[in-house]
Amino acid sequence: MIRKLAISAFALMAASAASADDLTVYSAGPKPLSAALVEAFTAKTGITVNLFQSNSGKVMARYEAEKANPQADVLISASWGHAITLSDAGELMAYTSPNSETVPGSLKTDDYVAQGAAAIAMVYNTTLDMPAPAEWSDLTDPAYKDLVTMPDPTASGAALSLVQGLATKDAEGTWKLLGDLADNGMIVPGANAAALNPVLSGARGVVFGAVDYIAIGQKAKGEAIEVVYPESGTVLAPRPIMIPATTDQADEAKKFVDFVLSDEGQALVADRMILPARTDVEAKRPGWDALPLIEFDYAKAAAEAAETQAAFKAAVE
Amino acid sequence: MSASAAKPSGGALRASLFFATMGLAFVIVALPILAILLFAIFPKLNELSFTGAFGNLAPHLKDPRLVQAVVNSVSLGVAVCAVSTLLAVTAAILRTNTGRRGAVWDVTFLVPFLIPPFTGSFAWIQLGQRNGFLEQIVGFNLAPVLYSFFGIVLVMALNLFPIIYFTTSSALQIVGQRYDEVARVFGGSAPRRLFRILLPLVGTAIVSSNLLVFIMTVEEFGTAEILGRRVGIDFVVTYIHEKLSDWPIDLPGASVLSLILIVIALGAYTLHLQLTRRTATAVDEVQARAGQPQRSPLRTALCHLALGTLAFIAVALPLLSILISALMQRMSGGLVWSNLNFGAFVELFTTHEEALSAIGTSLHLATITAVVTVAIGVLAAFFIVRWQSVLSGPLDFLLTLPNAIPAMTVAVGLILVWNQAFWPWTPYNTWWVMLLAYTCIMLPYPVRMITSTLRQLPMSMQDAAMVYGASDLGVIWRVNGPALLGVSVASGLIVFSIASRELVTSLLLTPPGFETVSTFVFHQFDQGSVRTAMAMSLVSVVISGSFIALGNALAGLRFVKG
Repeated sequence: MIRKLAISAFALMAASAASADDLTVYSAGPKPLSAALVEAFTAKTGITVNLFQSNSGKVMARYEAEKANPQADVLISASWGHAITLSDAGELMAYTSPNSETVPGSLKTDDYVAQGAAAIAMVYNTTLDMPAPAEWSDLTDPAYKDLVTMPDPTASGAALSLVQGLATKDAEGTWKLLGDLADNGMIVPGANAAALNPVLSGARGVVFGAVDYIAIGQKAKGEAIEVVYPESGTVLAPRPIMIPATTDQADEAKKFVDFVLSDEGQALVADRMILPARTDVEAKRPGWDALPLIEFDYAKAAAEAAETQAAFKAAVE
Repeated sequence: MSASAAKPSGGALRASLFFATMGLAFVIVALPILAILLFAIFPKLNELSFTGAFGNLAPHLKDPRLVQAVVNSVSLGVAVCAVSTLLAVTAAILRTNTGRRGAVWDVTFLVPFLIPPFTGSFAWIQLGQRNGFLEQIVGFNLAPVLYSFFGIVLVMALNLFPIIYFTTSSALQIVGQRYDEVARVFGGSAPRRLFRILLPLVGTAIVSSNLLVFIMTVEEFGTAEILGRRVGIDFVVTYIHEKLSDWPIDLPGASVLSLILIVIALGAYTLHLQLTRRTATAVDEVQARAGQPQRSPLRTALCHLALGTLAFIAVALPLLSILISALMQRMSGGLVWSNLNFGAFVELFTTHEEALSAIGTSLHLATITAVVTVAIGVLAAFFIVRWQSVLSGPLDFLLTLPNAIPAMTVAVGLILVWNQAFWPWTPYNTWWVMLLAYTCIMLPYPVRMITSTLRQLPMSMQDAAMVYGASDLGVIWRVNGPALLGVSVASGLIVFSIASRELVTSLLLTPPGFETVSTFVFHQFDQGSVRTAMAMSLVSVVISGSFIALGNALAGLRFVKG
């Protein structure tokens, strides 16, 4: 025990001494992706990376709490809204990576860019005695009575994007759809995993608004589920990568962004079944041309997020 | 009250012990809490700016959702206390009828602590939901009960009742059975003896551990989040977490809400003080080794059976559910033999190389945390109960507070304190910040448990020791120490169990490249690898559980020898 203590004491000294020159990256999940990106980046550039890995909320909470003495040089979140907020507050460093040329215009700005994106889908359990759904509105049918789950837009940025997208297209219809779903017994049990797990275990039948790459990965592992993108259109949940203006490692941070958007970095993104941000990198899942997308103004939607969440709450109650 | 007869102050040694205890309490507990209080008042404290003072308080306090959440949290706390007390006191009394063999239940009832609330609730859902394990095995489900206020109360009570059980059980040991015997000889009926002799004698222990259960219920996040959201009930703690992790993040708002939890805790603490004053009793002799009463074998067997049933529901069912979830190859594949294998366990030790080091890290941290908290707990208990001063009351409350504040807020407090450029050296971003965080959160357990036992220990021996010139350390070490050994070990084991699976602060504070069992499990959940997460939870329960069994056996050995 004493030896172990001594070792940890030693290790921590080493760690605090090294952290001044290393690049510090705060990243939201999935962990194998951030770990693989960091490892490949270090192998290529020789720059050591301190990786803090958590979920989007905790990454942002740590960033906020550290403002007196900022530590992060690169932030990766799973929620586009986080980037919009930080950008509006002027907290991000402007940088356009030379590798971002083929990233669609809606997924890049002057100070943040997507690493990749998830698409929002319907995911259903194929073992249940239930017709296969094709459209969002199918789920109001009595055949899906008490079988639908949906992630909570206050806990899931992806579900919020879906509601925003659908409402941009047809506000009246969307609130009515959500109300009808609630009448049909839809539950809103929490974040993405809380909505997907009951469907995997067969307690429920369909997720309305699932993050697709997790479900695609599950299906590849043999789970009896199907992923459907309704023809009427769905939305993307882009994962922003940003450099805080307070960084003291600006050059290394830019190199990291370049690497994530390089062929090699984007291939690692694709390996996790996430849609690569660059349209010229092949996806290992339904790609840019296979997804019927609803165009909407992310920044405007983000400004109205609180209203959207309130309207959602009113609609499903 | 058990305050000792007036005696001259203890001199230099006691003074240095006093300053050491106070200093540790200040650095470990008071500093982060102070930071949270200041953050609630100065919403830009995270940028080290003191502008906009008090601007944040009024809007939050007027929030109607918050009022409802406060009502829900308090009702939940009261209900969980009631159910836990009923379970725990019954179990503790039954336990006295089982003699030495009953020790197996002491170890068994520690297991609920080893299961993270988050995993435990998930296990109950897997078990009780529609098409869940129960329905697939015996044909019915528990969904209507599970997804209700009462369901949340039950799940939490089954997880928390051991706290009351251990305190009551060790109090019963100290009180012994002599008074009960006397009453029986004089013809007292069983219920009369229970309510007039036994319960009053252990009243302090029950009240004191209830405070802990109440505060933990109000603060606990996993169950409130998983089941509460599903039922659609808002609690203060889920509201705080929403502010801490959902867009837009509102750290000062979370600090304001944490203040409300502190106020609730203060209320509970005051009530507890009043009740303690009313229930305080002292016996004049440790009677643990009083003559073994005759027990009828039938009665002993029935007691074992009842305790076994409780253990089956509180321990075996959730563990079984976790085991099945870990064995299931595909969640959608159902409970059929072809779908069950040990693949997840094998993967854990082959493809996930970080799993083993995570277990090592957790065990290492949990052991050190247990030792440190118990040491501080014993010292603090003496300054709270025996060597009283004006600071005794505040110290007692301060060391209870970390339980009232959601762990994630404590983590934010620690960041605010230690991530400052003005410290010449800081534990932040190193292993030490984890130890600070764990010690802060876990301190209340030993402090509560040891103070309540110390209150019951007879003053006579300590006074006798003082008369014969024993020093303060001698009093702690030679006189009260042996009597406190049992509760110290028990509280140390509780700290070890909880620390070995702590999630929330770990998620926010882990230094780069640092992984604990719980963060590993969390990331697996997050990626949808439920079976790996469950396999890891089970392995960790088994490993920590065997450490505890070992610790218990060693302590038992010393008891017999001493």
